[in-house]
Amino acid sequence: MSRRSTLLGLLALGAVSTCTVSAQAVPTLTVITHDSFALDKKLIAGFEAANHVHVQLLKGGDAGELLNKLILTRAAPIADVVYGLDNSLLPRAQAAGILSAYTSPAAAKIPAAYRLGDGTLLNTVDAGYVSLNVDRAAFQKTGLPLPTTLAQLATPEYAKLLVVESPATSSPGAAFYLATVQALGQDGALNWWRSARTGGMKVTRGWEQAYNQEFTLYGGKFPIVLSYASSPAAEVFYSAGKLKDAPTDNLFIPGTTFLQLEGVGILKGSKQTALAKKFVDFMLSASVQKDFPDRMWVYPSVPGTPLSSVWKYAQQPKLPPMPDSLLNRSAALTDLWVTQVLRK
Amino acid sequence: MPLLFIAAFLVLPLLRTLKEGGLSVGILAQPYFEKRLAWTLEQAALSALLALVIGGPLAYLLSRARVPGTALLLQLLLLPFVTPTLVAALGLLSLFGPRGLLHLDLSGTPTLLILGNLFFNLPLMIRLAYAGFLRVPPTLIGAARTLGASGWRSALTVALPLAWPGLAAGAVLVFLYSALSFGLPLLLGGEQYGTLEVEIYTLTAYDLRLNEASALILVQLFITFVATAVYVRLGATGGAGVATARTLPRPRGAAAALTYTLMGAVLLICFAPLVAVALGSVHGRSGVTAAFWTGLLSPDADPPLALMLGNTLRFAGLTLICAVLLGGLHAFAISLSRSKALDLLSLLPLMVSPVSLAVGYLLLYPALRASLGLLIAAYTLLASPLITRSLLPALRAIPERLNEAARTLGASPGRVWRTVTVPLIVPALRGGAALALSTVLGEFAATLVLARPEWATLSTGMYARLGRPGEQNLGEACALATLLMLLSLLAFSVLDGGKGEVT
Repeated sequence: MSRRSTLLGLLALGAVSTCTVSAQAVPTLTVITHDSFALDKKLIAGFEAANHVHVQLLKGGDAGELLNKLILTRAAPIADVVYGLDNSLLPRAQAAGILSAYTSPAAAKIPAAYRLGDGTLLNTVDAGYVSLNVDRAAFQKTGLPLPTTLAQLATPEYAKLLVVESPATSSPGAAFYLATVQALGQDGALNWWRSARTGGMKVTRGWEQAYNQEFTLYGGKFPIVLSYASSPAAEVFYSAGKLKDAPTDNLFIPGTTFLQLEGVGILKGSKQTALAKKFVDFMLSASVQKDFPDRMWVYPSVPGTPLSSVWKYAQQPKLPPMPDSLLNRSAALTDLWVTQVLRK
Repeated sequence: MPLLFIAAFLVLPLLRTLKEGGLSVGILAQPYFEKRLAWTLEQAALSALLALVIGGPLAYLLSRARVPGTALLLQLLLLPFVTPTLVAALGLLSLFGPRGLLHLDLSGTPTLLILGNLFFNLPLMIRLAYAGFLRVPPTLIGAARTLGASGWRSALTVALPLAWPGLAAGAVLVFLYSALSFGLPLLLGGEQYGTLEVEIYTLTAYDLRLNEASALILVQLFITFVATAVYVRLGATGGAGVATARTLPRPRGAAAALTYTLMGAVLLICFAPLVAVALGSVHGRSGVTAAFWTGLLSPDADPPLALMLGNTLRFAGLTLICAVLLGGLHAFAISLSRSKALDLLSLLPLMVSPVSLAVGYLLLYPALRASLGLLIAAYTLLASPLITRSLLPALRAIPERLNEAARTLGASPGRVWRTVTVPLIVPALRGGAALALSTVLGEFAATLVLARPEWATLSTGMYARLGRPGEQNLGEACALATLLMLLSLLAFSVLDGGKGEVT
């Protein structure tokens, strides 16, 4: 018996080593992303052919989980390139020293408002807006006027209609929390969260629970949900042509929206820096920028990239820029939320 | 060999994680975590108690009377046990959610989590208890009845004491699974009813406070170790007597009413959620539709269905081979050495928090980070205990004198193995294999390893769809879930021969 399982073990090892052998002929570039990454396979294949490289894509979980995996393994990096770290995570990535500097020549085209930090560690690939969405039909039934201020949202009347994600376990949740801190100050924001929760606001772990379970559009009981400004457009896109108009609207209330910038960068310790740089440039190329909006529901960072017609159902809010001083404190602020709001 | 495997893929990664983080015991004194611990134990105990109260009597009644559909029910009861957590949560919410089919809104209440625990564990309880009651010699109950005891009395004074070790072992197992359950409280518990395992996950994956997570891991290990030791002890004393075939009367009167009421409850808890998911795959906001299935089958589905299906079957097949070898060896080692420690060890993979293992894998084996070998090893780790647990009772039930008789009659050890032992354990092995296979089909063990897009399985496809807005995505997720259920059913009817011998 034991001989047979040894044999099997050898077979398994063999399978692993053949992978490495075939990879030695062509160098492998490992790209780690968050789980939502999606891009046309043909584009990746084109990059592989043009650069004589094999691209191995890895999914490292949600953006926050991804960052933690990279920090844990910084002594022996698990990838060459990382895509998906955003402006709220960059300070932690910077402090942990996991990224090596590279600014793509293509980054010159990116507007200054979209720049991630000083632009040396991460090159902005896309921008999205975290925003409240309202289920039009369900909200009408409440007979209430649409809320217009954060203070209103914390009252029991509106708080019981609202489901948001936890700042501790979800990136839209963290973004929304930062927006409330920017609008109300640290103590004001903590107070806002406490009274909204007392008023009946639901806090879920992640976007999936908030949107697919608690939102009225999918059978829940909360007609206002924290999602993205692009979600109404995605609703039309994924209705297989049945919807002529979005069933949801954006609710751009000051202090609830956040400009989320996702970037691509090179991991410190990569042995493929030349290829890694090419991949960073590739993510900013016209064909890639044009491809991902309908897959990841974010705006391309390079101006002038054409968008498909469904994007007319998405709007872009006017936002005051989020100061770096606030972004730098995001981890400490989350800790504060956990101890002062969640665990109270 | 199994020990080496457990050491390499379980003990070492766990120790490595603990070493990385250090230990901060202070966290245990915080009221918040004390509450989490209390709730973890409370919900597990409540689930075990309810499973015992519903499952025990039903199993007894089914073992004493000829109820039409018993065999089918027992076989179908395996389905919830192997249902992916996500499917279960989807189903429970579409039944008991705010706009659920039952118009009974339980979302955000602890009841929903308990129902979820019952969904997964009631089947286990019923099957264990049924097997236990079948081993009670019917002549004993007959004698009690002849001596004037009522049906209730003979059940309570004769059958119950005899079947008690089996029942108690079942309840402990339900407690153990519920105390460790991760996916359900994550999906259904909200922030208020999270368990220790959910906190470990949050502390590790999001907060990167490994030291605090380590403290919780140790507490959890201690709880599960105690519960497992109780379970193993009960398992060793139980199992006396042999199931006998006999003709049974149809149930009558109060017994019949109780039987059908309990059966109804079981159907509602264990199958209605699955039916609701299947309905969700053909029913959208605007009525009945085929759009979700055609969307899934269309060539530009991302990832394509053929890839997901192929991967699911490939991983499940590979894992099954490894798990049968390792789990089988482990079972033989336990039965030969009669070692309690080995017995306990076989349950270890079910006790350890997957997320702490995942961190350990990354730190220990960075070179294997995204290799198929590590993926299969992770799956095998989860599946092999099921094989071991299925084989053990069968191995223990082989009377020693049977082998001795064969030897006396001149058979070589190899021949005894081939002609006596193997035929006797094959049914149990088939059952265990079916269980292991179905668990792998639905298990999201990829969380243990860094996922690669080309490794998309039916489960990861489901997760990907639930992560995007739009009705089409939710519908396709339901269709994928339905497909997974059908595959599990198929695995059972093929491997288990439809006999449902698994306990």
